[in-house]
Amino acid sequence: MTEHRDVATGPPDEYVEAEVHRLLTEDPAVAEQGITVARRERGLVLQGEVESEHRREEILRRVAERFPDVPVTSDIGVIRTSAPTEIEQLP
Amino acid sequence: MVIRIAAVGDVHLDEDVVGRFRPALEELPDCADVLLLAGDLTRHGTEAEARCVAQEFGGLGVPVVTVLGNHDHQCDQVPQVVKVLEDAGITVLEGNSVVLDCAGGRLGIAGVKGFGGGFAGRCASDFGEPEMKAFVRTTTDSADALGAALRGLDCDVRVALTHYSPVPDTLAGEPLEIYPFLGSYQLGQAIDSAPTALALHGHAHAGTEKGTTPGGVRVRNVAHPVIRQAYSIYHLGDHLDSGEVSRTVSSGIQRTWS
Repeated sequence: MTEHRDVATGPPDEYVEAEVHRLLTEDPAVAEQGITVARRERGLVLQGEVESEHRREEILRRVAERFPDVPVTSDIGVIRTSAPTEIEQLP
Repeated sequence: MVIRIAAVGDVHLDEDVVGRFRPALEELPDCADVLLLAGDLTRHGTEAEARCVAQEFGGLGVPVVTVLGNHDHQCDQVPQVVKVLEDAGITVLEGNSVVLDCAGGRLGIAGVKGFGGGFAGRCASDFGEPEMKAFVRTTTDSADALGAALRGLDCDVRVALTHYSPVPDTLAGEPLEIYPFLGSYQLGQAIDSAPTALALHGHAHAGTEKGTTPGGVRVRNVAHPVIRQAYSIYHLGDHLDSGEVSRTVSSGIQRTWS
């Protein structure tokens, strides 16, 4: 008989990866579609860019709240909003 | 003569972002004739978030033209969102167009949000369950509206503005499996049905900036996470050749940026 492993312990499985990915979009406090979730041996890596530091912190807070036993590494940046330094000529 | 277009998409405004874009936006009257926004102006499409957009992108001293994105539909408040934007002087396109008199000529912009479906040979079909047919027909209707709006323009230079991508080129970097949710070839076909000079879109945060339609129209993904600056600037010249490869001129900027 197949023993179902408790997803809350040990390394995250595909279902946790899928749930985290959906949470990032569907949780109104996050609503990000541009964050990727990569499953590594020791946990999940969240990667992408957001519009403010507050949003980055909120993503990590919400994921930790929902999956307290899943180790998460953050590689989320805040996108710059400086004026461009070059133009593109389209003849 | 040159028409100068500034563009960005996917700025996802809410209170926490207000003010971040403004310093760069204040420079627009010196370097662009128009600012085009490629959808996903808000996070959830609420009226309150639209007010943040109006505050950040209103009163810039250059015309601002936008389409909405999927995020702007999330809370089913599209009429309220559109009203707030229009009250701030922002033109919202959906299946229609606008012509602006610029120093370099008459710029025509046709816009739709667009929708998914996928790309030639790997796309959804108008077949089967009602949900599937509704999905594909949404895209077909959107593409038809874009094509009609582009062909109906009376102007010197045509630009197509969408949220979803008209080509797979600018999705490079996104997982292949989600391409059907990022755009449709039907939008490209609509763009190719008129002598379009440039097609701008957003939506694909992990995509790349440059591509072309099968008909040779230059396509640029101006999603904020792709361009990594407040906006990009494109100069469209007098003698457009849609088959010609574009040239990037790093020293072409006409003023010193601090």
